[in-house]
Amino acid sequence: MSGFKETLKDAVRQMSFRTSLDTLKKKGVQQVNVLGIDRIIALIEAAVHRSLKSHLVGVEREAVADATKAEFLRLLRTNEDLQRQKTEVERQKERVEDEVDSLRRELFVQQHALELKLEQGSLSTANRYEGENAEIAKKVGEVIRSLAGGGNLPISIAEEKVMELVMNVIDGERKAADEARRALHDREVDNLQRRIKKLSSTLEQTEGRLQAVAAMKNIDSGISSLYREVQGLSLADAQSGKKKELMAEIFKANLKLQKKG
Amino acid sequence: MSDTKTTEETKKDHGVLYIGMDLGTSRTSVSASNGVRETVYSMVGYPKDVVSMKLLKKDVLFGKEALEKRLSLKLYKPLEKGVLKYTGDATMDAEAKANLKAAQDLIGEAIRMAKPRKDELIYCVIGAPAEASVKNREAIIEAARAHVDSVMLCSEPFSVAYGLDWLEDVLVIDIGAGTTDLCRMHGTMPEEADQVMFEIAGDAVDAELARQIEKTCPGAQFTIHMVKDVKERYGFVGDAPERCIVDLPVNGKPTPFDLTDQIRSACSILIEPILEGIHKLIASFDPQFQTKLKNRVLLAGGGSMVKGLDSAVEKAMKERLGGGKVIRIEEPIYGGANGALKIAHDMPADFWEQLK
Repeated sequence: MSGFKETLKDAVRQMSFRTSLDTLKKKGVQQVNVLGIDRIIALIEAAVHRSLKSHLVGVEREAVADATKAEFLRLLRTNEDLQRQKTEVERQKERVEDEVDSLRRELFVQQHALELKLEQGSLSTANRYEGENAEIAKKVGEVIRSLAGGGNLPISIAEEKVMELVMNVIDGERKAADEARRALHDREVDNLQRRIKKLSSTLEQTEGRLQAVAAMKNIDSGISSLYREVQGLSLADAQSGKKKELMAEIFKANLKLQKKG
Repeated sequence: MSDTKTTEETKKDHGVLYIGMDLGTSRTSVSASNGVRETVYSMVGYPKDVVSMKLLKKDVLFGKEALEKRLSLKLYKPLEKGVLKYTGDATMDAEAKANLKAAQDLIGEAIRMAKPRKDELIYCVIGAPAEASVKNREAIIEAARAHVDSVMLCSEPFSVAYGLDWLEDVLVIDIGAGTTDLCRMHGTMPEEADQVMFEIAGDAVDAELARQIEKTCPGAQFTIHMVKDVKERYGFVGDAPERCIVDLPVNGKPTPFDLTDQIRSACSILIEPILEGIHKLIASFDPQFQTKLKNRVLLAGGGSMVKGLDSAVEKAMKERLGGGKVIRIEEPIYGGANGALKIAHDMPADFWEQLK
């Protein structure tokens, strides 16, 4: 019995709302009448008993009172369970939505990084070659000029020959270096592409889960009927007169059965 | 704010959902005005103990799921021979009370299967056997009332005929699991004299088939549920459409058995009582309309799916009554539910209101 009272108290507490004295004053309330929760519970119980007393007697009343209390507790528990389930589904949905958002953001960042990498790759190669060429030409020029100062060979021919020689060597080196650099670059691009693919797949899965959660929520909402209003027999029905009589007979039998007649 | 929201949620202003239900011994079927049509075996199971409840993660299981998990459950078939296993007596024992609860849960599940919206009015018509007692009918009404706004009962064979718009001079044969019901329709609500009921139906066929298998297939192990599956898959009378080769375990090893003759013989037990019922209802009908009635015999219910039954009854009618025409309805499983749905649809609004 005390358990029932406690539950009733909890229910009253849940249904009440908190307010401050300041708020009440702002609303123009100067004085309030205070009614304790125990008194409220006692009043509810007294009302229930009085109502039962007016309709029922003795053992029957007690049985109905007990059954009503038990049913009340059951409904309350069911309600709490449903609330918990609802909250859990909503929490799950929020979690999945957050996950989808962060995956989308990460995917965007990775795609952007890949684009930058690809652009940087081509630009830096061109700049590097230009700088290297100038540097080599400068050095070879210096060598040739110093050679020509003490010999018979025309400077231009000597320069041309040395340049040809050096450039051949350098070209070979460059090709090897380029290949190494490309391989490294390809690896990075490949990694990024793999990562993007993985992220896309995770995103797809998470979106699927989100849909499943959303679908779970929709189960409760049911499927709408075709009808917005009560229909009844169509006057265009060829047998409407006969059907009307049959409907009335079914209704009469049910009225009697359900003791509403 | 939250109070306002709650009020809005419970306000039933979205529309009206009609549900037609056929509460049968073997199956319970629903048809609803939102397009949902579902059927469930009329079986309800409750976990035997805390361990099974934890394993199954459910308080109650229905239909096929209950049948499959029956080893962990207390299994109830709340209907027997077409009516609830419930007398309404004050001396009702624990088993009867448990069956009543199972019936209530089954009706609740059937309504949930129709996927109603919380904000719609739900009006339901349930096809109940004509033989159900007043207490029995009250129990069905009470069970349904917990889930719907207004509910009515009507006779099962009547709802089948109403669903097909055959209201005059038609004889409906509804072969269920527990009973076979014959009902003569002549434009008004059928009375007691218009109805014949006997207990040779689907369950009796299962029992006969089990008896024959036991007699002719030495060592074969089986349950009544396996026999029911065999009947539902192969059931026929007359010429066999195919040989019925069924694997049954013998000493733990699946062994093929040819059950063609046994199935034919078991299913044939339906014919004679049906014919007797037809004879009785036709012979006692207005002589001027007897020929018309003979030519408008409707075969409905799960048992009507036995292949060749319509032809076999027609042939027997020719021999005994000089002729007749038997029509098998298109959807035997949903015939009753569809008819009940149509009745719900045609019922005037004020009738529903008065029964709220």
